[in-house]
Amino acid sequence: MPDRRSLGQLTGLELDPSRPAVVVDRLTESFRLYHERPTGLKERLYRLSRSSYTEFNALEDVSFTVDHGESVAVIGHNGSGKSTLLRLLARILPPDQGTVVTNGRVASLLELGAGFHGDLTGRENIYLNGAILGLSRAEIGERFDEIVDFAGIRPLLDTAVRTYSSGLYVRLGFSIAVTVDPDILLVDEVLAVGDAEFQARSLARMRRFHDEGKTILLVSHDLDAVREMCDRAIVLEKGRISFDGDVEDGVDHYRQTIAGRATLPPTPAGRRGPVTIRDAVLNDARGGSAGQVAPSDQVVVRLALQAGRAVAACSIGVQVADESGRTLYAFVSSEQGIGVGPLAPGGTATVEVRMVAPRRAGEYTVTAFIGDATDGEVLAVAPTVSPLRVAATRRAAGNLDLAASAQVVEGPSTTVVAASTLHHDTTDASHRRS
Amino acid sequence: MSVADDLRPGAVRTLGRRLGERWRGRELLYQLVRKELKVRYRNSTLGFLWSMLTPALMTVVFTIIFTQIVPIEVGGPFAAFFLAGYLLWQFFQNSCQGAIHSVVGNADLVKKVYLPREVLPLSHVLAQLIHLLLALLVISPYLIWARGWQVLVHLPATLLAVALLTVFTSGVAMWLAGVNVVFRDLQELFVVMFLVWFYATPVLYPLALVRAMLGSEHLLATLLQFNPMTWFVELFRTPLYGAVVEAGNGGVTSLAPAWPGVGAIAIALAFAVVTFVGGYLVFLRRARTFAKEV
Repeated sequence: MPDRRSLGQLTGLELDPSRPAVVVDRLTESFRLYHERPTGLKERLYRLSRSSYTEFNALEDVSFTVDHGESVAVIGHNGSGKSTLLRLLARILPPDQGTVVTNGRVASLLELGAGFHGDLTGRENIYLNGAILGLSRAEIGERFDEIVDFAGIRPLLDTAVRTYSSGLYVRLGFSIAVTVDPDILLVDEVLAVGDAEFQARSLARMRRFHDEGKTILLVSHDLDAVREMCDRAIVLEKGRISFDGDVEDGVDHYRQTIAGRATLPPTPAGRRGPVTIRDAVLNDARGGSAGQVAPSDQVVVRLALQAGRAVAACSIGVQVADESGRTLYAFVSSEQGIGVGPLAPGGTATVEVRMVAPRRAGEYTVTAFIGDATDGEVLAVAPTVSPLRVAATRRAAGNLDLAASAQVVEGPSTTVVAASTLHHDTTDASHRRS
Repeated sequence: MSVADDLRPGAVRTLGRRLGERWRGRELLYQLVRKELKVRYRNSTLGFLWSMLTPALMTVVFTIIFTQIVPIEVGGPFAAFFLAGYLLWQFFQNSCQGAIHSVVGNADLVKKVYLPREVLPLSHVLAQLIHLLLALLVISPYLIWARGWQVLVHLPATLLAVALLTVFTSGVAMWLAGVNVVFRDLQELFVVMFLVWFYATPVLYPLALVRAMLGSEHLLATLLQFNPMTWFVELFRTPLYGAVVEAGNGGVTSLAPAWPGVGAIAIALAFAVVTFVGGYLVFLRRARTFAKEV
């Protein structure tokens, strides 16, 4: 029987290279949502065993395998079960059904600085937090200088951590956590904290883990970081795996689910809406498919709709959201006094909405919707077939196109050729990332 | 045994294996106890002396009341008699009071970090144990002065009583910590529960006095024997103060500090082991779902 090498965060068995790093088999985890939870005696006496709750599955029939050295992103909307999955892998929660097998030592970075005590000094908290993470005093002693330097807290080492800024606090937490030397690293969104410099450093640290052949499971909403860090993505939707495969495809898949939900209420379920969107395409100004456009280029959303029953008047809306699903722009035609109708049952119409592409390079989701012109109720929602990809112009450097132009207003002017090509490489590189 | 077995619902986790794991988790326990002690005295100038203030004041007050106003016969100096029981009681009550909040109050740890959860209540018990040992050290000159060198001779018996009570207290502490997660009223009940328990334990009065006044067959005398704390206090007091016995004339008298009887040790041991195992099992059962319930 292989022995558990350490405790706390570091849990699990010695690494056995012949078996996968993580095997999750038909995992289901349910939570109870209590409607006014009876935790006291009085409530208990009132209802005895009749405590009312609804049970919902945070994870439902989830199965996957992760090999050694893989770095896997777990992405999904809030409440899709990502964090629950990591907590199960970290053994914080026991599975209700199914099994979780981890092979190798597991370290989880689910919360930085968990267990810090404000009244203790930085030095004391390093030892305390290290012990919580499963390190022995000797192990922490060996890594002490590394931790202090990485966090950059040497002058404050003997000051109570309650006087630390929140950034410093998190930095210290991260520094301790990354000195734990695991085979499998679970990371939950903790990289989203701290300033840009610290984020860059933590990403570099994660990359080092990856290069050392460690297995990483990363939960993040930062799709850039995900694409950079991971080879593979698992997309969770309402507790089920809706995608498992290459990270690029996974991110695309996830974007489409964002577009489907956007921030609009979904099409009323259970009945066919009075109007349906038959087609929503994104074209460029010349009418071709807008595969990729430059900032500020004109794009056209072309919408074909059909009425399911007689409709007096409806308005057309377009919403543009960025990669993280944040709405940047929303337009409703009724604001301009333009609507479609009246339509007989089965009647069709085609609408074009013209607008300019965002000035910032990136990938956007465009969602078309149809609303009732009188009460504004949303009748139909559809994402455009393809996302809106905005590539940087070659005329300048930077991500944001401010459409600069130069004019010599006094003195001799001349024509020069493409001195700005110098910048092309850098701009291209940054665009690929965005 | 693989992690899968460990995680499967209903898998039997043997207590022994868990205890083995806990032994390797002692580093965490050590750090938590240190934290407990440091945090408590960090911002106070008097530090440890504070923890001596309560028993000292209680001793003064109770000594005045129960020697001058409502005399309780203890067969010797009341202050020494009282201290030799009260220190133990204070350890027990403070441990349980800290432990009952230990899981609920550390929600962030319980939800976000894998750690053997028992260390949370146990760290309170161990921190209080250190207090008890220090308090004993401070108080011992007085006890030696009051009861003679026999106190020192029988030190191993005192320590044995402390050890047994620590095991017992750990069981109660884990039970309280675990049950409080799903039944929060427990922390409200705690104060009243422990107040009753205090008076039901022969700390203020000797058990022999109850027997002498009511007869050893009396219901109260019998009931007191079902209170585990009765045994621990008697076990602790015998080497530290001396056994208090019936004098035959309806009063009591005290003997010199001595070794406790094997029977008393066996009963205390049984209470300790049964309570520890029971409390631990309840805690482990509850601990599976702490992360969902805290």
